[in-house]
Amino acid sequence: MPAGRAATSQDERQVAITNPDKVLFPETGFTKGDVVAYYRAIAPIILPHIADRPITLIRYPDGVEKEFFYAKRCPPSHPTWMPTLRVPTESDRPLDYCIVNEEAALAYVANLAGIELHVMLYRRHAITTPTLVVFDLDPGEGMSLVDCCAIGLELRQILKQLGLECFPKSSGKKGLHLYIPLNTPGITFEDTKSFAHAMAELMEEQFPDRVTSLMRKTLRKGKIFIDWSQNDDHKTTVAPYSLRAQAHPMVSMPLTWREVSTAAKSGEASGLLFDAPTALKRVKKRGDLFAEVLTLEQSLPKLGAD
Amino acid sequence: MPRAIWSGAISFGLVNIPVEVFPAIRDTAIHFHQLHKTDMGRVKYKKVCSLDGQELGSDDIVRGYETGRDEYVIVEDEELTKLDPARSETIEIHDFVDLSSIDPIYFDRPYYLVPERNGAKAYHLLRKAMEEAGKIAIASFIMRQRGYLVAIRPLESALLLETLHFSPQVVTIEELGGLGAGADVASKELKLAQQLIGSLTGAFEPERYHNEYEEKVRSLVESKTNGEEVTTDAPVVRQKQKVLDLKAALEQSLKAAAEGRKSAKALPAKTTQAVTATKKPAAKSATVKSAAVAKKTATKTATKKPVAGKPAAKKTATKSAAKAKR
Repeated sequence: MPAGRAATSQDERQVAITNPDKVLFPETGFTKGDVVAYYRAIAPIILPHIADRPITLIRYPDGVEKEFFYAKRCPPSHPTWMPTLRVPTESDRPLDYCIVNEEAALAYVANLAGIELHVMLYRRHAITTPTLVVFDLDPGEGMSLVDCCAIGLELRQILKQLGLECFPKSSGKKGLHLYIPLNTPGITFEDTKSFAHAMAELMEEQFPDRVTSLMRKTLRKGKIFIDWSQNDDHKTTVAPYSLRAQAHPMVSMPLTWREVSTAAKSGEASGLLFDAPTALKRVKKRGDLFAEVLTLEQSLPKLGAD
Repeated sequence: MPRAIWSGAISFGLVNIPVEVFPAIRDTAIHFHQLHKTDMGRVKYKKVCSLDGQELGSDDIVRGYETGRDEYVIVEDEELTKLDPARSETIEIHDFVDLSSIDPIYFDRPYYLVPERNGAKAYHLLRKAMEEAGKIAIASFIMRQRGYLVAIRPLESALLLETLHFSPQVVTIEELGGLGAGADVASKELKLAQQLIGSLTGAFEPERYHNEYEEKVRSLVESKTNGEEVTTDAPVVRQKQKVLDLKAALEQSLKAAAEGRKSAKALPAKTTQAVTATKKPAAKSATVKSAAVAKKTATKTATKKPVAGKPAAKKTATKSAAKAKR
């Protein structure tokens, strides 16, 4: 891409790409132009997962080794064709979030050095309805992605016994995310959050030496923290196929359970790690392993007397 | 026991009374740390240049006094050090005045004076004499390279040192730009107001008043530290109870599932459950197409969601159920 300003267009949409040669990942020389190119290439696959969801960008204007900030508010200068959603916040000032529904919008947020895309668990036409339950398995000190895989497999088995399918993705850092697709109207965040919380406590009870459901970092040492608290109407989770601000441009990549179980058995997690180029190759070959997350309709089990 | 922050001597005339200075006020405010929401990392501040975004160390930073828009005179550390008052060992009493002649607006921070070594006798003599004369002392002293104007007054069995504001610091009433008309009041109304004041008059008892907000914050923090959940907020309690109930129900339901499976295994596998499970195709590669399949089978196999999954569930279920019992 030429230096200075370049444009990307989709239909009539024009997005100026500024400083495409600016290196955002110094260790690999991956530039802002590369980030934009990655998101444009992955657009057909990622867009269904982020469409209509308020998005928080983690912006690294000077690269992943420098200052970053969580950009919730859509910049006032956003293109007029890009929708926003006004979301009430815990304080009294509502925020207008960007809605990224098309390739040009992806290019726009990528050009803001929005390396990481984190989205809400609801879509804008039903803001009280989470479309999925997410478990974020986060390894404490001394634990690794392989340990997350082992716990993820256990969690999957319990969910299966409750009649629920779930889908794994790498966080792109050290963790593993499990998504339970719901795609069912009427489910509330109170339902999903208490369900996830109860599941995390159940896991903690069954694997007391390996799992904690408590956020406190001191309690996480040598354990996998099952973060249930992201199932909340004002919390976001890193989108599948989003880049992560690591030394390398890693991707939060949907996985098969076979891959997860191979990693758990072999103790080798390298097969679960994908950077931008390998992610694009994989998607070309295998399509969207998270397609069912968009379509599978499931309800949380009816348990006891409510 | 608090720590002394200064030691020296009260000096007036030819008398020197060795004393130490102790803070008379403690900080009871609850302090919080800022943490990164997602990983509980402590939040640090970085000094960054507003022009080039470069992070700065202390060697990169100078003091500037703004003289105009974007105009500064630079003042070096050494230049300021030269102005530091020489360290003095004395609290120099200048005058004795009536306590009522100092308006409380001038009082800043109180400290206790505590006699040192063989100063006790002179200390108590000064205190007693001031008490009986109804006078307080105006003095000056230097602490941590700053000169202070202070008042020294007896308080019960001790001497109190109060730092005073210098007069330019005190905002005058004239600067407020008027307090509205009505300064001349009718005597009848005045009498009524005085009666009201009289009926509410009592002694000031500071123990009677509580910093309720701070006490609430403190008990919130304490209950959280002890691992109890917070009890001031009804929705939180409800949520916690719901999670507990839900967990119990989950355990119940998993147990039932495990037992059902055991008895199904004891009988030759003929239950309809097992049949439907083995009949389903192994939908493995999850492309858009297989997603549609999964959705269809899901709604077909049972009228009520949720729906048992694919064959894999059957095979491994007993294994993890056994584990679950440990």
